[in-house]
Amino acid sequence: MSVAAGGGGTSAVDPKKTLALGIVGGLVGIYLVPFVPTIGPLFGALGAVCAIIWGADAIARVASYGLGTGVPSIGYMSLAIGVIGAIAGMAGAIIFGSGLNVLIGPIFGIILAMIVGAVVALVGKKVLKMKIPILVRCTVELSGAAAISIIGFSAAIAGGIGLPAILTTVISTGFIGLLFILNTMAIQHPFNACLGPQEDRTRTLKLAASTGFIAMAIVGILGIGVSSVWWVISIIGAIAWFISISAFIQDSTQAAASVKWSGWWPKEEEL
Amino acid sequence: MDPLLLIGAVTVGGVLIGGGVHFIPVGGAPAAIATATGVGTGTAMLAAGGGMTGLITAAAATTSPLWLVLMAGAAGSALMLGITMLVGNWVYVWGVGTVPVSAKVTKDPITGLEQEKYVTPGTEGHGIPTVCFVSGIIGGLLGGIGGGLIYYFLYNGLVGLPAFALLPGQSVSVSAAMIAGIFALGVFFVNAVVASYNIGGTIEGFHDPKFKRLPRGVLGCIIASLVIGIVGVLLLQGGAF
Repeated sequence: MSVAAGGGGTSAVDPKKTLALGIVGGLVGIYLVPFVPTIGPLFGALGAVCAIIWGADAIARVASYGLGTGVPSIGYMSLAIGVIGAIAGMAGAIIFGSGLNVLIGPIFGIILAMIVGAVVALVGKKVLKMKIPILVRCTVELSGAAAISIIGFSAAIAGGIGLPAILTTVISTGFIGLLFILNTMAIQHPFNACLGPQEDRTRTLKLAASTGFIAMAIVGILGIGVSSVWWVISIIGAIAWFISISAFIQDSTQAAASVKWSGWWPKEEEL
Repeated sequence: MDPLLLIGAVTVGGVLIGGGVHFIPVGGAPAAIATATGVGTGTAMLAAGGGMTGLITAAAATTSPLWLVLMAGAAGSALMLGITMLVGNWVYVWGVGTVPVSAKVTKDPITGLEQEKYVTPGTEGHGIPTVCFVSGIIGGLLGGIGGGLIYYFLYNGLVGLPAFALLPGQSVSVSAAMIAGIFALGVFFVNAVVASYNIGGTIEGFHDPKFKRLPRGVLGCIIASLVIGIVGVLLLQGGAF
């Protein structure tokens, strides 16, 4: 379970950069959806991919300490918090007045998710006595990334950021359940696959980009019948997936070169 | 609906889910290679299986009275966990070739069967022995009741709002059911993982010494669920969109 226990090592990627990518890229992507004609939903999906890369970096930082429950558990938990925050935020933004609610909804949802994430992490730290120094910060980041990725993909399917459109095209159709698991996989898989003593964060994030883009390609397909640009989202997602997975495979091959050149250790009978 | 009723339902439901997880024999990675007792996966996966099945069965009883929704949720979750444990045991017995045995007790508290001499040296038991199975079923029942409780109160709160009101000829508001379902699933995952942090990943069931940590886990679930319940009240504001 806690294969990567030890944690706290230096990362090849500055956490501030992924944080900026996730928040700025994610929010800009989401808010471009209603303002850019025709191809707006594409930006929502790209924003969600930015958030997935941010989330994958946050999960790599916190899970390198060894949670004792496996990497996926914190991914599922953050996505649960993200979904709760996103829906409650978009539905509850009406308290700010009916004119502004659509615009405030997404950001309100992201803030709510971060607050719930902070409370759950504080429970883990103070009540359950977990000894991970960056637990609170990373859980807050993860919850925010989860909420942005859910809202971004929902906006890409629905073609808008208002709850009525998302309710009929994403929630009532059950796609919200699919997004829940899809985004969890996209966020938790990269570190779960790459963890270990030789983990290189750049390589992990290349895998994160590929899981994010393949999720985007699937989200494009979900938009069939709702969005007129579903095929643009799908094709761009698929091309970007191909580029990022090729980069990841090349990186892995390079890292494995020392084994390839020197060969495996000899078998017992050959000694 | 009174917002306090929803907060109360989410808190009680969350505690039932978090408490229920302490009963489920979660074996984690060691159990996956049959060197520890329990189902060979993490809490999140068991919560996904048990929780989703419980919510689907609870949702199937949507228009029924509260007790029937709770029973349906409990039956769904317990059945799913029961099947998981049973099929897991088949793999452990006929696939791996180990005896279902607990390393935490010398005698099975339910069947009274000797345990110690069947544990392979260097391991912490294998498979799912009777006591773990019974414990897991209790955990599934508790979790299912908790999920069903949250679903019932949130659905009934939402369906009273104009945006989710039933159209003529409709018996179930699909959008209200989906929101209530995904919200209850979210609460299920959060409490399952909080409980999992408390038990440190693996537990055999109510006979495991780690089960004594239950009060601390329940306290954690109360705080987490209370905050989620307060956030959930915002959903009831959604009447005007």
